[in-house]
Amino acid sequence: MSDILDVKSTSKNIREKENKNSILKLNSAEKNKKQEYLGLEGATENKNSKKIQNDKDKSIKKKNKVITALSIATAVLGLSTIGLGIGFAITDSMAMEYKTDLENVYQSNFYSLLDNVNNLETKMTKILNSSSSSYQRKTLLEASKNASEAEIAVASLPFSQSDIDETVKMVNQISGYTSTLADNLANGGSLTQEDIATLEDIEQSVMSLKTQLNQFANKIKDDYSIIDASMDIDTNSNAFSRSLASLKDNDVEYPSMIYDGPFSDSVVNSKVKGLSGDKVTKSEAKQNVEKFFKTATTIENNGETKGRFETYNFTVKNADDEMLYVQVTKIGGHILTISGAGQSGAENIDIEKAKNIALDFATQNGIEDAAVVWSDSIGSDVYLNIAPQSQNIVLYPDLVKVKVNMTSGTIVGYDATSYFTNHVDRTLSKGSLSLSQAEEKVPTRFSVISSRYALSPLDYNREVVCVEVQAHDEGNTYYFYYNVENGIMENVLKVIETDNGNLLM
Amino acid sequence: MRKTLFAIFSLVFVLAIALTGFGLNMKPKVIDARDRDIVTDAATTTAENRTIQTKLKRWGYYNGAIDGIYGSQTRAAVRYFQQKNGLAVDGIVGPNTAAALGMTLSSSTSSQSSSDLYLLAKCVYAEARGEPYTGQVAVAAVILNRVENASFPNTISGVIYQKGAFTAVTDGQINLTPDSTAYKAAQDALNGWDPTYGCIYYYNPATATSSWIWSRQVVVTIGNHVFCL
Repeated sequence: MSDILDVKSTSKNIREKENKNSILKLNSAEKNKKQEYLGLEGATENKNSKKIQNDKDKSIKKKNKVITALSIATAVLGLSTIGLGIGFAITDSMAMEYKTDLENVYQSNFYSLLDNVNNLETKMTKILNSSSSSYQRKTLLEASKNASEAEIAVASLPFSQSDIDETVKMVNQISGYTSTLADNLANGGSLTQEDIATLEDIEQSVMSLKTQLNQFANKIKDDYSIIDASMDIDTNSNAFSRSLASLKDNDVEYPSMIYDGPFSDSVVNSKVKGLSGDKVTKSEAKQNVEKFFKTATTIENNGETKGRFETYNFTVKNADDEMLYVQVTKIGGHILTISGAGQSGAENIDIEKAKNIALDFATQNGIEDAAVVWSDSIGSDVYLNIAPQSQNIVLYPDLVKVKVNMTSGTIVGYDATSYFTNHVDRTLSKGSLSLSQAEEKVPTRFSVISSRYALSPLDYNREVVCVEVQAHDEGNTYYFYYNVENGIMENVLKVIETDNGNLLM
Repeated sequence: MRKTLFAIFSLVFVLAIALTGFGLNMKPKVIDARDRDIVTDAATTTAENRTIQTKLKRWGYYNGAIDGIYGSQTRAAVRYFQQKNGLAVDGIVGPNTAAALGMTLSSSTSSQSSSDLYLLAKCVYAEARGEPYTGQVAVAAVILNRVENASFPNTISGVIYQKGAFTAVTDGQINLTPDSTAYKAAQDALNGWDPTYGCIYYYNPATATSSWIWSRQVVVTIGNHVFCL
């Protein structure tokens, strides 16, 4: 039974089993499918999560990079800002240091100006209240020194030139005037009524200048910066100048000082005495230029000069393609100046030849009986000073200067302004001093080389016939000038040898 | 993204370098004043050479002839003298050696005029290097006229360095090295050439800003400059 049952059951079981199995199979298949599906799902899920993971990583990395970059940038920027800040601070402190230094220089100059003007005022009073000529002389010399130091101080301050030219002129003239008066006193003269009147005027002017400056000095005490004031500029002047501008107004009267000494107005306005002839036209002037520059390739008009000398100006291109600038006087059509640079190169002529070229040119231009009195060669140019002579007296005031280029052998410079300013017919006397008498007057430590008569321009507008003695001591050459009337030594010149020529001082 | 980063980086980098460079460069530029003396070698004259030889012979440093020629024998004697006297041994008689020899060199007194020439040439070059030659002489002549004029300082340096007198001094161009033309022009003016006949001002009408200058009496125009009294 059991067997049948068993079989039955077995078959049943089998069937069931089979069914079950199939079901199971099915199920399992389904399950499998599902599993497969799930597996698939799991795979995509996996892929997806990996992708997300990847993306997350990447963005974090990028973020990190940006953060690093930004922090580096910030650090670098910060560092350079600090560096810049330090740089600025250093620069600023250096600039402040420089500024303080300059301000101190200005302040020192200002106080030096103040001191000298104060002293000048005191000395003017002393001179006017003294009757002793030796005391006057001493004080005049001191006043002259104060005035000249005041000039140096005022010129070193950052004033606008146009605001202080009158002040500079006044102190310069006071210096020149007082030293000229002192010289007169030394030579046995005395102060005239006119001198006293002028000195009184000067005293007044110096007094007002002093008042102005002292008022200004009080201003400086209150944290005033001369630099800042001088940087505050409008078109014509700066604030520093303007604060002292009343110097230019009528508060300070500038006395006129007529005297034969340095900075006298009479010297500046010297008249042209030597020009003769009729007025020429521009084309006549041009013809004169053509006469002297026969080999010129072009001659062009180049305006006119309207000064002490009135000239027509021309630009001449000579055969060597060199540009020369030529001025011809309107009166008489004389060649007044030529200027040109001259070539640099091997010298094709010697100084003797250059002298002849220069003398020929001077003679052609109406300089009579001319002689070379001084030559000086610099590079390939030789400068020749040519003086006309009259009765064997060398006329130094009428000096003509010629520059000859030794490469081209042509004239590249000519200046006859002294000649045309001073040349007049003079009656000159050789006095009583002979050449040998003059030579004996030279101190014994010098050995005499030569001597001749010469008209010397002395001091200001004074011409004196002298014996000129050339002499030398160990290594140095000197020129001594003895007045032919009284034998007094009027002047000594020392020849200074430079690396590029000789200079007379 | 990478490009942007790179851009940011390079920008920052450039900025940083620029800023640092700028910071470093903030030091005010001081143009060095070339206080170069144009007198280079202390050249001695024949007369001086003779004196040198005489003295060296007397003191036993030199055995050659007293001929005034500064040859190798004299040079050797000078070197010997310098060595014995604790001087810089260069075989050249400069101011120090001359002083030790008990003599003054004529050339040592000339530096004054040479430095005037140098200063004048510097100012001419800075102010008028583009001008025709005569225009350069004229600028030098104006400086010298100012020295003579009562309203201006009485030395060449005083005139040139007067505050605001020359724009080339104000902006530092004065420290450029002058060329030979500027030297020649300065030399001509020192020798008395003055194509302006006493002018004490000049200006370039194209660039002059001061209205005051226009009121001066014009004497002559040379190149771009108007010269006036």
